[in-house]
Amino acid sequence: MTTLTTDPPRNGLSPLERAYARLGVVLITPTILVFLLVIVYPLLAALYLSVFQIYTPTLQGGFVGADNYIELLTGKAFWSSLRVTIVWTVGTLTLQIVAGVGIALLLHQNIWFRSLARSLVLFPYFLSTVVAVLVWKWLFNDLYGALNQGLMQLGIIDMPLDWLGSMPNAMIGVILVGAWKYFPFVVIAVLARLQTIPENLYEAARIDGAGPIARFWDVTLPQLRSILTVIILLRAIWDFKEFDLLYLLTGGGPVTSTQTLSLLVYQEAFGLNQMGQAAAYSVGMMLVMLVFMVLYIRQTKEKA
Amino acid sequence: MKLVRPVLLNLITWSLVLLISFPLLWMIVTSLKPQTELFRIPPTWVPETVTFEHYWRLLSETPFLRYFRNSVVLASTTTVFVVGLGTLGAYSLVRFRYRGRETLAMLVLFTYLLPSVVLIIPLYLMMVSLGLSNTLFSLILAHTTFALPYALWLLRSFMEGIPVDLENAALVDGASRMGAFRDVIFPQLLPGIISTALFTFILSWNEYLYALVLVNSDAVSPLTTGVMSMLISAFNIEWSLLMAASVMMSLPLIVVFAFLQSYLTSGFGAGGVKG
Repeated sequence: MTTLTTDPPRNGLSPLERAYARLGVVLITPTILVFLLVIVYPLLAALYLSVFQIYTPTLQGGFVGADNYIELLTGKAFWSSLRVTIVWTVGTLTLQIVAGVGIALLLHQNIWFRSLARSLVLFPYFLSTVVAVLVWKWLFNDLYGALNQGLMQLGIIDMPLDWLGSMPNAMIGVILVGAWKYFPFVVIAVLARLQTIPENLYEAARIDGAGPIARFWDVTLPQLRSILTVIILLRAIWDFKEFDLLYLLTGGGPVTSTQTLSLLVYQEAFGLNQMGQAAAYSVGMMLVMLVFMVLYIRQTKEKA
Repeated sequence: MKLVRPVLLNLITWSLVLLISFPLLWMIVTSLKPQTELFRIPPTWVPETVTFEHYWRLLSETPFLRYFRNSVVLASTTTVFVVGLGTLGAYSLVRFRYRGRETLAMLVLFTYLLPSVVLIIPLYLMMVSLGLSNTLFSLILAHTTFALPYALWLLRSFMEGIPVDLENAALVDGASRMGAFRDVIFPQLLPGIISTALFTFILSWNEYLYALVLVNSDAVSPLTTGVMSMLISAFNIEWSLLMAASVMMSLPLIVVFAFLQSYLTSGFGAGGVKG
């Protein structure tokens, strides 16, 4: 790069460079202070709280050492929630990727009113989860819901289905709504990448006699590989920690069949009033997520 | 054959697009139907009578407008606060050299991925002990936890796209660093700032978990928890009223989509998904 951002020599900084470094620190200080207050301190506090037993309404309790972590490792709650979280993440992520890439390929074509179609597809992603959940709860309504009625009119089912109150329907339901809400993210990212694939790659493949399907596998997909890695990691992290959608759609039910780790932490802290145990669960959850985070951060670093 | 293919492609694409937007269409249709028409089997796919009574009732008989005002205050304050801090922070991270800068950038990325439920318990305790629970201010602080890393990350990528030469030229002409920032960087960064502001506003507008935990008084509830409480507290659920609330709640979004959509798509390119 240029003079401004090259590394200064280790010793003998010029007065100007030193002044610049000072200004840089001054500019970042407010951000650092806010970070310390609302992120770093709460993170450390979560670690600290996880070795206490605290009753939420009174905030009274005492030090219990590793008890909360022993409960995490030996109890059923954490592992069953982890399993639910993995089922939900893999299910909804797979649908998001397949639908996202498919729709992106279609919207990349020269169709009528393309920008309108793109806007319509993008919309669910920016919609409030509360709105999405209300709309889908109404669609899922047992008796009058459009989904059951529509499927019955089409003759696919002859009895209304109980969408959110029984298994495996509840899991299928949340996975579907999750896919609907978040696949536009994949569409936008893939569309942007598709526009940069050089046309001559397709020309060359065509001359070699490759049909549309062969062209997708041999040209498009390899070109999309790096962006897909990033999308999958990012969406895996976000789906893994999703709270609003699951909490509002099923509340984790029936019983705990859709209770992901985020919901478990919330339930333990504010439903069962065991704040220390909840903090321990949240630390456990973060450790699991750390794997994906490190992978993503490494991926981002590589490109930089 | 030459003509059949594009028509088929259009047909397939548009049926999928309509299928995807059906829930939203259904939301609008339901909000316009009279209550009695809602429980028709089979449902009337196109409303027989169109009525705006639910919108009227929503605005006059429910606390919806108060929730709306709370959300506007919450989301705008968060946006101004976060984008202000973020712009200076991103400028520092991209254009200055000092020890710990790289570590800081990685920390920002890490917090950008952090789950809210980890922070929620300590934040709740913090707000209680500071006497801030049940205030909009506590929500603004809490929203900073996800909005600031997000804004910083976005603004950082926008800032990286601005050529250094422009700034150097201004410095050679005798401008100070902050003078160069005001006259050269800021105008160049403006589209990025608008895009970041829109994203931050939408994130804050849509946030639910912090509002659920930190605020339980109806007077300071934002739209997300407020509208959900209308669902939970109702003895028999009035779906058309809730659908009208959903439409109204999405209004800012519809405005952004209609007039400022290019800013949203440009933010996407910057938001850590560059391939």
